[in-house]
Amino acid sequence: MHLIQRTAGLTAVAVLWATSALAQGYPERQITMVVPFAAGGPTDTVGRLIAERMSEDLGQQILVENVGGAGGTLGAQQVADAEADGYTILLHHIGMATAPTLYRNLAFDPVADFAPVGLVTEVPMTIVARADFEPADAASFIQYVKDNADTVTMANAGIGAASHLCGMLFMQAVDAPIVTVPYRGTGPAMTELVGGQIDIMCDQTTNTTEQIKGGTIKAYAVTTPERLDILPDLPTVAEAGLPGMEVSVWHGIYAPAGTPQEAIDRLSTALQTALADPDVASQLGELGTAPSPAEDATPTALQAKLSGEIERWRPVIEEAGVYAD
Amino acid sequence: MRKSFDPTDALAGIVFIAFGLFFGLSSLLRLDIGTAFRMGPGYAPLVLASVLLLLGVLILLSALRTAPEPVTALAWRGMLFLLPAPILFGLTVRGLGFVPAIFLATLLAAFASPRMRPWQAVVLALAVTVFSTLVFSYALGLPFRRFGPWLPV
Amino acid sequence: MDLLSNLGLGFATAASPENLLFCLIGVILGTLIGVLPGIGATATIAMLLPITFELEPVSSLIMLAGIYYGAQYGGSTTAILINMPGESSSAVTAIDGYQMARRGKAGTALAVAALGSFFAGTVATVLVALFAPPLTAIALEFGAAEYFSLMVLGLVSAVALAHGSFLKALAMVVLGLLLGLVGTDIYTGDPRFTLGRPELADGLSFVGLAVGVFGIAEILRNLEGGEADRTVLGQSLGGLWPSREDLKRMVAPMLRGTILGSALGILPGGGAVLASFGSYTIEKRLSKTPEEFGRGAVAGVAGPESANNAGAQTSFIPLLTLGIPANPVMALMVGAMIIQGIVPGPNVATEQPDLFWGIITSMWIGNLMLIVLNLPLIGIWVKLLKVPYHLLFPIIIAFSSIGVYSVKGNVFDLFTVAFFGLLGYAFLKLRCEPAPLLLGFVLGPLLEENLRRAMILGRGDPSVFLTRPISASLLVLTVMVIAVMLLPRVRRKREEVFVEGD
Repeated sequence: MHLIQRTAGLTAVAVLWATSALAQGYPERQITMVVPFAAGGPTDTVGRLIAERMSEDLGQQILVENVGGAGGTLGAQQVADAEADGYTILLHHIGMATAPTLYRNLAFDPVADFAPVGLVTEVPMTIVARADFEPADAASFIQYVKDNADTVTMANAGIGAASHLCGMLFMQAVDAPIVTVPYRGTGPAMTELVGGQIDIMCDQTTNTTEQIKGGTIKAYAVTTPERLDILPDLPTVAEAGLPGMEVSVWHGIYAPAGTPQEAIDRLSTALQTALADPDVASQLGELGTAPSPAEDATPTALQAKLSGEIERWRPVIEEAGVYAD
Repeated sequence: MRKSFDPTDALAGIVFIAFGLFFGLSSLLRLDIGTAFRMGPGYAPLVLASVLLLLGVLILLSALRTAPEPVTALAWRGMLFLLPAPILFGLTVRGLGFVPAIFLATLLAAFASPRMRPWQAVVLALAVTVFSTLVFSYALGLPFRRFGPWLPV
Repeated sequence: MDLLSNLGLGFATAASPENLLFCLIGVILGTLIGVLPGIGATATIAMLLPITFELEPVSSLIMLAGIYYGAQYGGSTTAILINMPGESSSAVTAIDGYQMARRGKAGTALAVAALGSFFAGTVATVLVALFAPPLTAIALEFGAAEYFSLMVLGLVSAVALAHGSFLKALAMVVLGLLLGLVGTDIYTGDPRFTLGRPELADGLSFVGLAVGVFGIAEILRNLEGGEADRTVLGQSLGGLWPSREDLKRMVAPMLRGTILGSALGILPGGGAVLASFGSYTIEKRLSKTPEEFGRGAVAGVAGPESANNAGAQTSFIPLLTLGIPANPVMALMVGAMIIQGIVPGPNVATEQPDLFWGIITSMWIGNLMLIVLNLPLIGIWVKLLKVPYHLLFPIIIAFSSIGVYSVKGNVFDLFTVAFFGLLGYAFLKLRCEPAPLLLGFVLGPLLEENLRRAMILGRGDPSVFLTRPISASLLVLTVMVIAVMLLPRVRRKREEVFVEGD
């Protein structure tokens, strides 16, 4: 609505002003980082971790603003509409790539309306089951699921959630339509998995690692090309016989399209510095993930990741025929 | 029979009937109902809307047999100035910024009372603005932009 | 003895001068922010969360816990003083607490709330310390069928919330259930009643709805006819403290509320929302003077406030024993833990006993500080009511606008406030009470989700509700409640003729 009210003249003035301000050295005031999810969630946690270190490098505070709603599309929309002056940025996860397919009347284009800054981290996922689920290893697990596709139940944390995306991939990989049970968020889904009310789930290591270590749930495979340091006994999906199921919840930072190149470059440098910090690495390590290497924390790498993932998920979602709008 | 008719209850019944129709018809027209064993998104709303419709009718019918109760005056002035205040805040907070938006919203709300004199309203709005800017923006560091892009500040 | 040494460890951690200080700061900040209209515990914690990041892990969690209790109490204060609940639990406190305030007994209501909270907090802390693991096991027995039956029980009890027409209260519950279903259907992704607005995809905002139908509608009512009505509030403030008789009347409700709240607080799937509503219903049923309810009954404040606070305490159980957050507040606590480098999980108690027991003991310390701090503050809160109303209400509007906006940074939520303010005022004029609407709104999605989930898990066989023992017991209880409700209705029919006219 405020787009209509904002006159073209004012916008022009703002852009001129922003550009002249940049000449004097970006950033010269605080930056707002929109996290399109509620405070305290996993994405918010990643955002706050990284914002703190980037602030140190930039010499200006990065404020995290949580604009939750509609699977992250409301917050992303807000950044797409924001002034392209480098003072409003977005931290979003894999949902940036699935939104164009999941939301059929999305009002923004993740590729055209944003300028990528860089990848932050890629969180691996694990295929887990209730603690007393019968199969002993990955191979017998896959066989069991195929044989009992009509009785096995699979939880997810809602349409578009990482657990939902991974669930769709899993069903394609085992080629069996499993009964899916959605929950409102990871918390309730994990509770019912621990309580044995539901059989299996595929979720981020952030949510599963401690439960696996504590023995409250059982794990069968991890969705990375290599085994994880924190769960060394867990086979990869390729080892388990589920090729093509490599998937991670990747997080990236974006600015609105049209943001001056100086600002993008400065942000990208700050991101690389933050990711090289051993404290950030150890805190991300606690979450079961690692900082992206410096060559991935660049606009080109994020651009490539985003485009590739949009194309990867489109057929998966279309085949499942589930949309979030 | 005419004498014992309570217009308040009758109106309440009509309001419930209207809500029942809105939810019921939207469910029927736009949503998949499904069956009791495989419920679609429209199943629960349709059932609830039907119950609401029925309750509305019952309330309307019982209103025809009840003695009316006195109706007090409506707060027209209150509605005129109070209800638009949060809307004004919402429309201006992103464009004008937090500081002007909260000032304008408080000023508008203040006129809902006939006892409020214009100078009092301005002083009150200023005080609220200063207080909330200090508390929310500076002390708590909430990510509100104090002055927005519509202002050349 | 294990428990004593554990508690000793906890006190050693929580009672260090530094942690006591952070706990105190947390309680003060929580109360001060939570008392602002339209800002409940969740919003307060979200706002204050960043402050705790710089602290040591244990100190930061202790301070957060302090903020939580402070915010809860602050929220009840606003509910009592100006009928503006910021959270579903304090919505019940608003019903009778605000009526007490209107009758010049604001001080009593606040003291009753504080004492009830403290008592419940103490009992629930002991419960958490003694029985956390076995209680977790019970909570894990709750599946979709059990939650559905529990919600049905809650819903049936809801009608007791109203003191006017039975039919209208029922209609308000149903309307609330329908409003609760607005938003994206989590099973199919279909948008329901969103009128094409993406802002409605996650449903209507609870705070927007509550602030509108309770707070704004009440302000409008006060603005009728030159604010003559308001003099009730401003004049006689009566005794600040509860009389001996008040204290006597609050003991039993406090005990029952504590038990109910402790039990429901454990359930991670939204059982806790029922605690304060349920307590209100029970007290009204058991009361010798049910007609007082809705007009300022002490038991109507003491019971729900105790239930609410006990539930707040025991909702830490799933977090502490499983590492799974039971509600949005607990989710924020998890976020804080992770930022501190603690990943909550089933092993926290064994791997970090000082943290685990430190949090549990700080719960009690937080409650103690809360009451020490707030009893003297009551005098100040009550004095706020002496501020001329035409100066007070614009301030309320300003703060509640900020509060609603700060929750999600969503402008649309402010439009929700205005819309429900108008609707709430309309219902007030139509003599329909808002509390049942709010309960329906909270229960609507839970009821439908769990019904559909139970049917999917049960392969479309509705007998799951009766073959699972906990679910079946809850349904039996529901039938009993209906029976009890119908009996006195028949008996009292004749007396009603004389009571009418109020």
